[in-house]
Amino acid sequence: MSTTTRIAIAILVVVVLAAVPWFGSDVVVQFGISTLILAVLAQGWNIIGGYTGYASFGNSTFFGLGAYGVAIAMVQWNLPFWVGMIFGAVMAVAFAILLGIPVLRLKGHYFAIATLALAQVVAAIVSNIPLFGQNIGLVLPPLNNDAMFYELALALLVAATLTVAWLTKSRFGFGLIAIRENEEGAAVMGVNTTLYKVLAFALSGLFSALAGGIQAYWITFLDPASAFDISLNVKMIIMAVFGGPGTIFGPVVGAFVLSAVSEVLSSEITNVAGLFFGIVVVAAVVLMPRGLADIIRHFRTSGWRYFVQNIKAHRI
Amino acid sequence: MSAILEIDHVTRRFAGLIAVNDVSFTLNEGEILGVIGPNGAGKTTLVSLISGTLAPSSGDIMFEGHSIKALPAFRRARLGIGRTFQIMRPFPGLSVLDNVAVGALFGKGEGTADLKEAREKARRHLEFVGLGRFADQRADELGGPGRKRLELAKALAMEPKLLLCDEVMAGLNHVEIDEVIDVIRKVRDAGITILVIEHVIKAIKSLSDRLLVIHHGEKIADGEPDAVLSDKTVVEAYLGKRRA
Repeated sequence: MSTTTRIAIAILVVVVLAAVPWFGSDVVVQFGISTLILAVLAQGWNIIGGYTGYASFGNSTFFGLGAYGVAIAMVQWNLPFWVGMIFGAVMAVAFAILLGIPVLRLKGHYFAIATLALAQVVAAIVSNIPLFGQNIGLVLPPLNNDAMFYELALALLVAATLTVAWLTKSRFGFGLIAIRENEEGAAVMGVNTTLYKVLAFALSGLFSALAGGIQAYWITFLDPASAFDISLNVKMIIMAVFGGPGTIFGPVVGAFVLSAVSEVLSSEITNVAGLFFGIVVVAAVVLMPRGLADIIRHFRTSGWRYFVQNIKAHRI
Repeated sequence: MSAILEIDHVTRRFAGLIAVNDVSFTLNEGEILGVIGPNGAGKTTLVSLISGTLAPSSGDIMFEGHSIKALPAFRRARLGIGRTFQIMRPFPGLSVLDNVAVGALFGKGEGTADLKEAREKARRHLEFVGLGRFADQRADELGGPGRKRLELAKALAMEPKLLLCDEVMAGLNHVEIDEVIDVIRKVRDAGITILVIEHVIKAIKSLSDRLLVIHHGEKIADGEPDAVLSDKTVVEAYLGKRRA
């Protein structure tokens, strides 16, 4: 497919998605909002996890800080929603820079564990601060306008995806990929690895925080448990990896496919949905460890053997 | 001839082990300096100290008259110090071309921000080392000799003033070694100063203007290749003391 056709298809998809609130039912729109927010989170994780190669468990913390930014601004200070979005984004970016500098020195599992621990610490701190509503949480003024939330989430997803597309064509993005592929090799070739990693972490945090802000205003309730839910971080990783980490559209497609699968499962076979969702994820890891994007790239040449090759490659 | 690199009483310890012990030497502009020594002599550590992936425990390193001891690796790269790795480290998931393009995007003086220009430069460097027709392959699909050349192309794309080659000939056959020697000579003719580490003595003898021998982390000889290789201490380091 040429670049022009791909861009045309992407624009068409965005236009169709943008029209959903006008012809879709309430249920569809609500499903759309939560899926779009998850897609933004998966795309945000893609920047630090997919492109830079640092498997972050801190992105749900950024999400939480973004959500609290909106909640605090609107509930405690009576400020408009957009001020809250900025406040939340600033908190998340500041957090990413301050903690990224020490934590991004760690590699592999150590980085994952450190960010996981940070997420727990932040949740514990927040639940003791009155401004954040402690353990009781904050109730936001309701706004009954799902179409607005839907379009906002879609706009954010477009912005996140354009940012990732820019990464693949920019010096900054090449620096991140070089860090992922071989950090020492990148440094001796002139890549300022510390700066680039922190910037990627902050950029990833920015999108996660904005998604959190939309979610908080949409759900109208926020407490530490829901804001800093680590399973949300697991979800975004699964979606990004399922779709194809380090690709432009992979995480978005992953989020849509898995959200749809999970929605169908939970309405069809309610109580064992989790089990089936687990099976889907395990099958994906075994059969297509590099995600949907890789299948599209290689299925034409390898055909069904693609799956067999993956099974063999991993000696399962 | 002016000195481009001065190593001044540099020592590097790893816990109890002294990998480089009080080594001093100068490298003049436009020179090819060969560094030889038995396995584990501290040659690669020396390269890492110059390129900045390791910091010296004591001593100073001067590049173009300024101390670079405290600078991180990426800053030294931007000053114009390029290196290859003995254990080849391409960016495996990237194409051969893009591996080299990273050098042009960053490299000396921060390189260029234009990806298209960087790829054009990269293609020229790939042709130069003889990898032109592999440009679109993934780097991890290259074989050993190809990876050695890729290491060279990556470092050259940074347009360095000083090129540190860490065993670019190890594992190559005679024909390939001759080709690499040829490439290195051409690099020098383009005005780049070169430090070559090797333990294939025959290869390095014909290439170097000057030879430096390291043994147990210490410099034991420095001078004309023929004179150095007939030096008694050097012969002993390689072949052991004659028991008479």
